[in-house]
Amino acid sequence: MDFLVGWIAIVPSYATPLLLASLGLIVCERAGILNLGAEGLMAVGAMTGAIAVLSGLDPWAALAAGAAAGTALALLFGLATVVMRADHTLSGLAVVAVGLGLTSVVGRPYMQKTFPGIASFGDLFDIDRTTALGRIVAVQDPVTLAMPVLVALLWWWLMKSGSGLRLRAVGENPAAADVAGIDVQLAQLGAVLVSGLLCGLAGAYLCVATSHVWVEGMIAARGWVAVALVIFARWNPARALVGALVFGSADALVPRLQAIGADIPVYLAMMLPYLLTLVVLVASSMAGRASGEPSFLGRIYLRQDKH
Amino acid sequence: MSVAASPAAGRENTSPGRPPALELRGIGKAFDGRPALADAQFSLAWGEVHAIVGENGAGKSTLMNVAAGVYAADEGEQTIDGAAASPRSPMEATAAGLGMVHQHFRLVDSFTVAENVLLSLGRRGAVRTIAQAGAAIIAKAREIGLPVDPSRVVADLSTAERQRAEIVRVLLLGARILVLDEPTAVLTEDEAKALLSFVRRLAGQGHAVVLITHKYREVAGFCDRVTIMRHGRTVLAGAAVSGLDEAEVARLMVGEALPAGSRPLSSAGPVVLAVAGLSVEARPHGQGLAGIGFDLRAGEVLGLAGVGGNGQEELVSCLTGLVLPQSGAILLAGRDVTTVPPRERRRAGLRVIPSDRFDSGLIRDFAIADNLALSRVADGAFGALLFLRRGRMRQTAAEAIDAFDIRGATPTVRTGLLSGGNAQKVLLARELDAGMTVLVAHSPSRGLDMKATQFVRTAIRRAVEAGAACLLISEDLPEVLALSHRVAVMNRGAIAGCRDIADVTPEWIGALLAGHA
Amino acid sequence: MLDAAFLVRRQAPGLLLSGLCYAGGLAFGLAVSAVLLVQAGVPAAALVDEFLIATFLTSDGLAQTVTAALPLVLVGLASAVAMRVRFWNIGVEGQLWLGAVASTWIGLGGTGPDALRLPAMLLLSAAIGAAWIAIPLVLKLRFGVSEVISTLLLGSVAFLLVQHLLFGVWRDPATGFPVTAAFLEAARFPSLGWGQLHGGLFVVGIVAVLVWFMLGHTRAGFYADAVGLNPKAARAAGLPATATVVGLVLLSGALSGLAGMTIVAGTEHRLNQSVGSGYLFSAIVIAYLAGARPFWVVVVALALGAVFTAGSVLKVFYGISEGMIVLVQGTVLISILMAQFFGTYSLSRPGRGEAS
Repeated sequence: MDFLVGWIAIVPSYATPLLLASLGLIVCERAGILNLGAEGLMAVGAMTGAIAVLSGLDPWAALAAGAAAGTALALLFGLATVVMRADHTLSGLAVVAVGLGLTSVVGRPYMQKTFPGIASFGDLFDIDRTTALGRIVAVQDPVTLAMPVLVALLWWWLMKSGSGLRLRAVGENPAAADVAGIDVQLAQLGAVLVSGLLCGLAGAYLCVATSHVWVEGMIAARGWVAVALVIFARWNPARALVGALVFGSADALVPRLQAIGADIPVYLAMMLPYLLTLVVLVASSMAGRASGEPSFLGRIYLRQDKH
Repeated sequence: MSVAASPAAGRENTSPGRPPALELRGIGKAFDGRPALADAQFSLAWGEVHAIVGENGAGKSTLMNVAAGVYAADEGEQTIDGAAASPRSPMEATAAGLGMVHQHFRLVDSFTVAENVLLSLGRRGAVRTIAQAGAAIIAKAREIGLPVDPSRVVADLSTAERQRAEIVRVLLLGARILVLDEPTAVLTEDEAKALLSFVRRLAGQGHAVVLITHKYREVAGFCDRVTIMRHGRTVLAGAAVSGLDEAEVARLMVGEALPAGSRPLSSAGPVVLAVAGLSVEARPHGQGLAGIGFDLRAGEVLGLAGVGGNGQEELVSCLTGLVLPQSGAILLAGRDVTTVPPRERRRAGLRVIPSDRFDSGLIRDFAIADNLALSRVADGAFGALLFLRRGRMRQTAAEAIDAFDIRGATPTVRTGLLSGGNAQKVLLARELDAGMTVLVAHSPSRGLDMKATQFVRTAIRRAVEAGAACLLISEDLPEVLALSHRVAVMNRGAIAGCRDIADVTPEWIGALLAGHA
Repeated sequence: MLDAAFLVRRQAPGLLLSGLCYAGGLAFGLAVSAVLLVQAGVPAAALVDEFLIATFLTSDGLAQTVTAALPLVLVGLASAVAMRVRFWNIGVEGQLWLGAVASTWIGLGGTGPDALRLPAMLLLSAAIGAAWIAIPLVLKLRFGVSEVISTLLLGSVAFLLVQHLLFGVWRDPATGFPVTAAFLEAARFPSLGWGQLHGGLFVVGIVAVLVWFMLGHTRAGFYADAVGLNPKAARAAGLPATATVVGLVLLSGALSGLAGMTIVAGTEHRLNQSVGSGYLFSAIVIAYLAGARPFWVVVVALALGAVFTAGSVLKVFYGISEGMIVLVQGTVLISILMAQFFGTYSLSRPGRGEAS
């Protein structure tokens, strides 16, 4: 029971970065731009967040700095894919390389230096930690609790608002959107920048709030898990929440087991999230029919081509 | 060769002196030097339903696309409601009051009808939310008497429902003139009748409607006037329907005389290709196959005429082996090849010339020699063991280039750089080889100039005289008539009538093409 | 935006234009990388020194460059071969790791005769690499799962397996570090006496020639080209499309596994945590830069080998992290991708009569 409560308590903080990244990717891909660069965007966000805190900024400013860094790298990605119409897959991989490489070079002096993270509710308020609920709430921070709200807002904007409708049209049928007077490229660029912001924030949160240290390679393919999560979520923010919780749970299991001193083969256990992702991907693909994939995802739109 | 028209008496409620809703005079349009319209005329009055009738390639859609701002005319004038107009985009045309419903709807499949309308109306006007769009749709639908449910997703709608949604969308954008391009082509008989009744009502409410169609008989009862086009020209402008004879219309659509080319078939050989009950499910915006069946004999050309979109693509895909039918059988020289892969069919003598040569025939980035060898490499013609004999491939290619007079080509030239005619010759050189017994040719001379077209026809003729059989599927009626020993018409995924060439008359074929079973 | 009305796709971008774009992108990417490195503390003069002179113009350096290039040739070929049939093998690193694991198992002794050790390592590493890529291949063919994600995730799984072994049964008992014991003599490529260069050179050379021959001069290569360019036309013409894809993808995995073997049997002589690092992007970058052509793969691999070599030096003398190598690759890749724009599209006003 104790184990369970302890586990549930940390799941949200593991799910949050996955969710933030997935939401960013959903916005980007709904506009038709396949974004494989999440890993690199998260890395620059993480590193920037760490540097910010180590330079004396308060953790919240560090989160913002991380988001800004992600947006900056995403600008490069947007320039390549939206303006220069480069292949999405290769551009995404290049962005991962740039992100990982840059953070490795620039972040070297800041490695392995721990720092305090953002305040949890237990720090801010006086919460009764004797109850299970109390213990769970005490460990949460404002960001994790804001997640469901963010999901709801994003879902509403995407599905119910006029601008969300226009964004989705760009990803489904850019020819129709173009004819309706929508600026396809502007919409796509905006979506790319949003994805950079959220992925950068995800990385910053992972570093500043969860790990409290910057280590090279700390993103550990979570960016790729986010890419897979988007497919599982059928490009729907609400389902992304479910997916992130599932993966966050798997991700949180290993440290929890280690914390209670369980004798498990650590590295084999760490395979769990990745294998789980794979299984879920297969299940999603088997479900077939309504995959929800934006019809023009990954394809280059040129008005002069015949549509 | 225009026949002047007198305005129909009776059903028209244009007050004298009111300018025509739409008028086109002397419209000329050419694509890449090839003329599509020449001195085309059209006049539409308010409150009428006007049909533009003609064969494929007659220029009906092109003319209306010019009016609707999709294309810009090279010459000629256009007026909408008396005022000069030259819309340079569909949005401009709609702003002037002319809206066109194309054969491929401009709808986003995964959105609801309301969302699609909201998308079109954009940020201007009173409709700002999905709820408002829904209300506007319901109101308009009620006003014109066309049932449309705004909350349904377009992908789930039947083609008829989708068409209704598109019509409502165009009307909500402010169109007073509605142009429908081949609206009944994708509808069942009942749906077509319902649509035509609606169109009648709409005209009665003060709109003006243009129906572009090749199915004259279907629309005759619902129209006021008819304009007939052929080869980009107007051959009969705005004649009252009441004064016209069906047979006369058919003849005007098809032409006064049929090109001579009929020859008796001395003796038909054995059946080399038999298709029976072949059915394929329709793709989202397409027409499947509905139990089509026919026999093809050695030494003959069976021509399948008919407008595209009646299942021709599906038939070719099934015969090639790229698509598996839901039911039915294909027998090649008596052997059941219905589910057999393309390789085996080729071995049995089947050759295919697809309508889109670079889609499933030739590889654009391959050298000519490679494309020519494509079908024979697997059989070891260019090296049975490991080593690919490129020298032999080049040699064979050089011979083919010579034999087929392929211009601008050496064996190593990239096929995509050739002109349409020469690329088609490469395809022919490959397919019309020694082992061919059955040739399926789909629009073999589409997009080719006169000389190349002649070449293609001669090549096919020679191959058939040498004993092969050919299934010729083409929208080009003169081509079908020139080459075939027997002519059939394809309609809605099945054969609608088949006759020996000697028995084919303009009336018979015009009637079948116009949709009379 | 502005350009939307004026962009037109070129019908046939000439060789000259494409070449210029490529060269321009390459030059720009390298220039940006140089600037970044200088910013990171490397004096500009040292750049030229380390990247060009030390790596190609000194005996030791050249030996080092060629040695570093050996596994790069293999992973570059692996990526290229898969690219030919439009299969994105992003998990090259994972297949490489497993190839190294398989080789380590044989290389540490305990099973089998010494004489067969090297051949066994070659075969087993290739086989296990092929097996590891077979999983994503099946998932794609059968279920339509994107191979970009599946190959990559399995790559992470493979690395975790390596960690498990290195911190577990294969951990060095003497030092406690996650490094295995050294390989038996019989399980090492013999040194060629020139720097660190080893007998793997012959293996790589032979493999490269074989792949070059296969792709350019056999029926299999012909099928691969056809299927990669237009699978529908290839199938309609009677080519065995699926078999071709399967064959080439498995070959891709095998080559990656072989690369792993080359590293552990050639230079490291043991399994450690840095055996496979940095090959993920290298494979794709090499294959893309080389246009998936085997000869150019070797050329680009050599160039990248120089970068790797220089990278280790910069790490020691200037404290530049090895991530620099990845950064350079990413920068060059995205520069070339963007430069292609000028070759693919042209800016012109739509003529009269164009569809709007």
